[in-house]
Amino acid sequence: MIDIAITHVFLISALLFCVGFIGVLARRNTLFMLMSLEVMLNAVGLAFVGAGSLWQQADGQIMFILILTLAAAEVAIGLALLIRMQHQRHNVDVDGLSKLRG
Amino acid sequence: MIVEQFIAIAPQLLLSLAIVMQLLLIAFKRSQHSIAFFTVSAILLALFAHYPAMTNVNLAVTPLLYVDVFSLTINVLILSCSLVAVWVSYGYLRSAVECHDEYYVLLLLAVLGANILVLSNHFAAIFLGFELLSLSLVGMIGYLHLREHTLEAGFKYLILSATASSIMLLGMAFVYGATGDMSLAYQVPQQQDLQLLGQAGLVLIMVGFCFKLSLVPFHTWTPDVYQGAPMPVTLMLATVSKAAMFAIFVKFWLVSAIFNQDSMQFLLVCIAIASMLVGNLLALTQQNIKRLLAYSSIAHMGYLIIVLAIQSQQSVAWALKSGVFYILVYIIATLVIMIYLSGRSKAHAITDNDDWRGWQGLIWQRPLQGSCLILALLSLAGIPLTAGFIGKFYLFTVAIENQLWGAISALIIGSGIALYYYLSIIFCILAKPLETTSQTPIDKVGNFTVSHATVMGMLTVIIVALGLFPDILASQLIFQSEQVTIIFNEASQRF
Repeated sequence: MIDIAITHVFLISALLFCVGFIGVLARRNTLFMLMSLEVMLNAVGLAFVGAGSLWQQADGQIMFILILTLAAAEVAIGLALLIRMQHQRHNVDVDGLSKLRG
Repeated sequence: MIVEQFIAIAPQLLLSLAIVMQLLLIAFKRSQHSIAFFTVSAILLALFAHYPAMTNVNLAVTPLLYVDVFSLTINVLILSCSLVAVWVSYGYLRSAVECHDEYYVLLLLAVLGANILVLSNHFAAIFLGFELLSLSLVGMIGYLHLREHTLEAGFKYLILSATASSIMLLGMAFVYGATGDMSLAYQVPQQQDLQLLGQAGLVLIMVGFCFKLSLVPFHTWTPDVYQGAPMPVTLMLATVSKAAMFAIFVKFWLVSAIFNQDSMQFLLVCIAIASMLVGNLLALTQQNIKRLLAYSSIAHMGYLIIVLAIQSQQSVAWALKSGVFYILVYIIATLVIMIYLSGRSKAHAITDNDDWRGWQGLIWQRPLQGSCLILALLSLAGIPLTAGFIGKFYLFTVAIENQLWGAISALIIGSGIALYYYLSIIFCILAKPLETTSQTPIDKVGNFTVSHATVMGMLTVIIVALGLFPDILASQLIFQSEQVTIIFNEASQRF
């Protein structure tokens, strides 16, 4: 088995994180924004698992389980809001949500 | 776990138990009165459970939590605010036909999250508390789903707070990768690349805290969410959430000994100065009192984090005392205004009653309410003889002790700008009442009761009392903060 250097793990998780972050910023469809959030959280999970294996501890993997739980809760709330939005406006475009300003 | 540890976290255990009981109660009988009564008694029980906890402090409860006097003080403050929030929400939601019993479950979950956050001593606990607090708040912000702005406010808060917490989590992962330790008192090894990784993680974690404290580059969500949320939820956001985030930011800053790093100090002072100026300047043109309070909260949090820019171990006790005093004073003044606003708004209206120009001539129609509001506004502005002045004075001494001349000048300029908008509201309250009969006068709207006025009056008395005799409270806080200093010193001596 070839050992993968820990810097590579952090690098790929940082890259994945950037992909998700750009997705949140650039996407106009709220469903895709929620999916991009998932990508970000999973990138963090990868970083935690990598760090855990580096120090030979279970902590990283436990954090990953906690992050999975968070992701599920977040998407549940996000989808509930999304359904409300579909009911009220008949689209899920985030540009419609710009009434509050001043 | 031994008995002392159970006693130390008894308030949190009681709250968790109460949440389960609440769900059972909802399944058993859907009644707004019983659930509100139950929630109030649960919070009161948790408050009383702090008495035995106070006797045995400086105790680690598992590696996750650490109970010290500073955390307990902030927790008492949080629970008292949530008591007010429950009572205000009850009056606010009572007018609706629907039975809003889930609201109280979300409220108690948010309080539990805030409490865990304040006690936490480990990244996992910070993460759990942080998410418990913010996810329940998203639920509460979007709660009145028939209203015009709640959807927008809820969605903005969800997306932005989830982004901020993933950035913070990435920072935690980097710090963990660099140190192999997830407790707050982590130690970065002396290798070049690990130092760099730890430093990057630190900055990312700070982003998460700055977002929640709505400090300047991450403040844009604040006014929209404050305006779109139902009034009692705005009250929660401004008091419970802010106090908890401030407490954990302080703990993180001191226990991880970040104040030893000059670059982070510089970053913090820059953020503080920017928040003071931007927050106050943007507040100038606001006609909506909720937006105005949101912008002024940005400025107030900017003033508050000056206490973290300490240069030496000796100033820790004084800085903590000033910080706790300032946040307490800020919360009391905000509570007075927000209780009034909640009393004047209803859950089934399209929006809250939040245009401050409607307050014209309030003092002549309702002298007690008008004078309470004026005193609260004066306290926020930091006028002498109110508690806000003493709070600002404490921050000033901290800044002078640490020679933060930039922050001091920003504080003075910011307070000067703030005076303009606080005084315009005060002049509006003192002006001649409107003659028009076309719209309902402000004092006929909402469910404002005698008890609202009583609580406002009591809080205003505290503002004046602390302004005249700050030592009543300050002398208590010195003692407590000194104990905290010992722990923080122990933590930082390891470096």
